[in-house]
Amino acid sequence: MKRSGATSPEGAPRSRGPALAAPRLLGAAFVAGLVLLWQAASLAGVLKPFYFPPPSRLALAFWELAWEGFPEGVRIGTHILITLARIGQGYLLAVGVAIPLGILIGRSSVLDRLSLPIITFARSVATLSLLPLVIVWFGVGELSKVLLIAYGCFWVMLTNVIAGVKYIDPLLIRAAQTLDTSPAGIFVRVVLPAALPRMFAGARVALGVGFMVIVGAEMIGTIQGLGALIMEARTYYRTDISVVGMVAIGLFGFGISVGLERLERVLLPWHRGLESVRR
Amino acid sequence: MAKIEIRGVTKRYESEDAAQGLAVENVSLTIEDNEFVTLVGRSGCGKTTLLNIIAGLVEPTGGEVLVNGRRVTGPGGGKGMVFQQHALFPWLTAIQNVEFGCKSRGMPPAERRGSAAQLIELVGLRGSEEKYPGELSGGMQQRVAIARALALDPEILLMDEPFGALDELTRIEMQGELLRVWSTRKKTVVFVTHSITEALMLSDRIVVLSARPGRIRQECAIDLPRPRERANPRVIALYEEIWRNLS
Repeated sequence: MKRSGATSPEGAPRSRGPALAAPRLLGAAFVAGLVLLWQAASLAGVLKPFYFPPPSRLALAFWELAWEGFPEGVRIGTHILITLARIGQGYLLAVGVAIPLGILIGRSSVLDRLSLPIITFARSVATLSLLPLVIVWFGVGELSKVLLIAYGCFWVMLTNVIAGVKYIDPLLIRAAQTLDTSPAGIFVRVVLPAALPRMFAGARVALGVGFMVIVGAEMIGTIQGLGALIMEARTYYRTDISVVGMVAIGLFGFGISVGLERLERVLLPWHRGLESVRR
Repeated sequence: MAKIEIRGVTKRYESEDAAQGLAVENVSLTIEDNEFVTLVGRSGCGKTTLLNIIAGLVEPTGGEVLVNGRRVTGPGGGKGMVFQQHALFPWLTAIQNVEFGCKSRGMPPAERRGSAAQLIELVGLRGSEEKYPGELSGGMQQRVAIARALALDPEILLMDEPFGALDELTRIEMQGELLRVWSTRKKTVVFVTHSITEALMLSDRIVVLSARPGRIRQECAIDLPRPRERANPRVIALYEEIWRNLS
């Protein structure tokens, strides 16, 4: 760490404010510009509406989804709630198992060596290729969908938890030892907090994976959920509806990711401090 | 009785090349109570290894270290340590870092907060208690690290090139600070450095180690009063003598 970290307490927040607000505004303006351009290209006949449904058409499709539903009776709110519930369950299951297991593996070099090939192998198996097996094992009900999402999230989270626990600065452990700290105390007061940032990073990436896997998971035996909506729209050649489904997934994925980032900043204030020093 | 007794300590690391693997060879040294001893040597001469052995962080291959006549078997227990990289816990504020050891010992919160606040004051960091290490400058980080090591009121303070990563001016300032702190809380100090000047400014006795494997090449007592002048003719003469022994 360089000494530039010693920012004056008054100077830092003031200079941070506008510096952050400007790119955010710029980003929003850029997106709005793209949407306008898309609409204009469609009006001018450059983009065919069936292949690239223009924003105006998407708005109409959204309206239809909001009032009549698609397929009829299943409104957008239901799709969203069902999808979020599935992702939430699969994600929590994955994280809930990956954290204790990852800590165990990361602390034991034997377990680490034993599990490495399995983890590398399992990570490279695309979640969706498990679909046929999962259906045979667990049927076409909710459990299969939740388990598929959990599988996708699990490996990313697991590798990050293991790395977080494993790659700890040995100096910190030595420092704690010279301060009369017991092995249990070192685990709770040094190993775990030192691993937290990495775990948070894993939790963020894993959530993204959950949103990526959802469309595949909802291909099985359901007409409810944003993934099902997208697949269902395909059968009716309703590209506008599937794009609305895509946009909804994208927006929620984005929103939740930003939320987690905020949460991390509140829970790990010291880590933000480190990053601002490095920048 | 001597405070620290190093008896024929040898440390060999596992290595293909036997000469490379030998870090410290047959070092014997006695350090008195409240003495400030500096180990000087080239990079990689095993002085840090020797310090880690005294700290109980590294086990010697041969020989033993006695503190108060009892064999060292592990870290802690009255041996405080300051590392070259500050080794502060980045998720704890300055004062929480200082409190760390007291918490390990189960001291009640109010009591340990009070003593930590005193130490923060002693190292001149009042007002920065709630800052995280990442928000402090290099010199301030080492001040916290010194306060943290002092918090358990150790009889022995082991310092491994604590100012090595600091710029020259901060370094000189920190040397003065260390002497000031040391004068208020008398400790036996074992200080590792590769700066001859730093050793001359600080110590009662300088132990010069040869290049790898580390063996004691020279010991010299410095009886000049502190604070010492860099330009003092005796300091300059000693500098030359130590330099000759190192090269």
